[in-house]
Amino acid sequence: MSDAIRHRLTPLERSERRLGFAMLAPAFLLLAAVVLYPIAELIRNSFHFNHLAQPWMGTPFVGFENYVKALGDDRFHEAVLHTLLYILVTVPGAVVIGLGLALLANQPFRVKWPVRLGLLLPWALPLVFAGLIFRWFFEFNQGIANAMLRGLGLEPLNWLTSPGLAFFAICLAIIWKSSSFVALVLLAGLQTIPKSFYEAAEVDGATKWQQFREITLPMLRPAIFVALIFRTITAIQTFDIPYAMTNGGPGNSTETLAMYIHKTTVDFLDLGYGSALAVLMFIVSAVITSLYLRHTRRDPGRH
Amino acid sequence: MKLLRNRRALIILAGLIVAANGFFPALWILFTSFKTEVELMRVPITIIPQAPTIENYIRVFVDQPILRFLFNSVVVAVLSTLLCVTCSALAAYALVRLRLPGAGIILSVLLAIAMFPLISMMVPLFQVMRDLGLLNTWWALIFPHAVLSMPVCTLVLISFFQDIPRDLENAAMIDGCTRLGALWHVVIPLTAPGVFTAGILAFVNSWDEFLLALTLSPRVASRTLPVGITLYQGEFSFPWPIISAALIVAIVPICIVIAIFQERVVSGLTSGGVKG
Repeated sequence: MSDAIRHRLTPLERSERRLGFAMLAPAFLLLAAVVLYPIAELIRNSFHFNHLAQPWMGTPFVGFENYVKALGDDRFHEAVLHTLLYILVTVPGAVVIGLGLALLANQPFRVKWPVRLGLLLPWALPLVFAGLIFRWFFEFNQGIANAMLRGLGLEPLNWLTSPGLAFFAICLAIIWKSSSFVALVLLAGLQTIPKSFYEAAEVDGATKWQQFREITLPMLRPAIFVALIFRTITAIQTFDIPYAMTNGGPGNSTETLAMYIHKTTVDFLDLGYGSALAVLMFIVSAVITSLYLRHTRRDPGRH
Repeated sequence: MKLLRNRRALIILAGLIVAANGFFPALWILFTSFKTEVELMRVPITIIPQAPTIENYIRVFVDQPILRFLFNSVVVAVLSTLLCVTCSALAAYALVRLRLPGAGIILSVLLAIAMFPLISMMVPLFQVMRDLGLLNTWWALIFPHAVLSMPVCTLVLISFFQDIPRDLENAAMIDGCTRLGALWHVVIPLTAPGVFTAGILAFVNSWDEFLLALTLSPRVASRTLPVGITLYQGEFSFPWPIISAALIVAIVPICIVIAIFQERVVSGLTSGGVKG
């Protein structure tokens, strides 16, 4: 298309454009109502004192006071640290386990549905349900984890009431729950690798491990990247599974940032401070989301 | 020959591992749900229930209004799915077909907004819904849940719409169809599998959502299943057989949905590459 034509739109093009923006309107209206307005409110709240348990104080403007408070709040620092640890353990964990599941699932099965459902079920299960089920696994007297320890002649462990073990149990639940989604994404990636690559490598005498290192991993890199970013975006928001398994305990040792924000606002009724914490979290998550978007940026009008 | 048989056995083993990993937890609570409290006390623990009882299932329906939770979940999931797919389809079509300037950037902005963390929206949404008098109503969840799945639905629909040749719509429009008429009568029927896939993903996302459902529907009668299930635990007691039975009741509907539509779900998850 030459520039001359591009600059002067035909009436048809102009009406198409108008229609196009009209068709985008419902989606953006919904986003404005459910996301943008609340985020604006959130930012406003974060600069005000707003404590529902102290209504006589009103809601005066306090500048950055809530943010300064966060700087000195040990429980907030711990929640951030726990969230980071969850990310550092469960994101690579889910990708490694997911890759293993994908490699196992990428076989020429005669009956496909048990494998497919085996990957879909953990994905479709609500996070809270996964949390409850794993809580049951790690129950002291009747849980399966301690039953296995006893079976091996070992002492049963206080899985959910000692800090380190509780963190481990929660990580296991998160990895189980999220690795199947990773496996589905990686499985799709595996299936795009042409069989002929492996046949050629076979002819050249490459071992299975070499084939995996030299063909599978490099070809999977884009799929792994997508899975990593997506797991990270959800891991920042970790809430449901620790909520169901330990509710942040023992003490606050398994409490995540999302759980602390939830407690600050819903249980302690401190909307101002909770909002400031939520703004901080939102900034971190926006940075990571933008990394993802930079990766997927594409022009939908073209192929 | 023996080598071939070994290979076959290895393949089956690989499949069994994947299936067991996925099914084991659900199977375990299925077994638990038929046990009595007494049997659970036994050491060493039993695997298969020795004296199966349906007492726990009766308690599930007696102790909490679980059918009400189920009904709330269905209504919220169905209506938010319809809203999400409608908005996403209109947006995806506009982005694919209508030669909008900066379509790529518009898409990025849409995705970026829709991916904001829920916890950040929770408090202000609570205030907005309270001010509008929508707390404890289905609407308080329907609108946010529709946004939750918008990125995945839009991406899935874009990938399907791109595959429809322009000529088909042009032919329809020459025959007197409007743009929207062509979308409704030509594009949507041809991309029905994609629309359907987007719908299932939106349905599952809404069905599973916990944080907003917990916050925006504080009244028992307006809770959805994921939140309702947590009500079976007492202050100090954790009646595991009843909770297991409740989990089974809650899991069965979603299992049926994904079992029927498994291929659609897989293709949707991987073409969008996302879970919202």
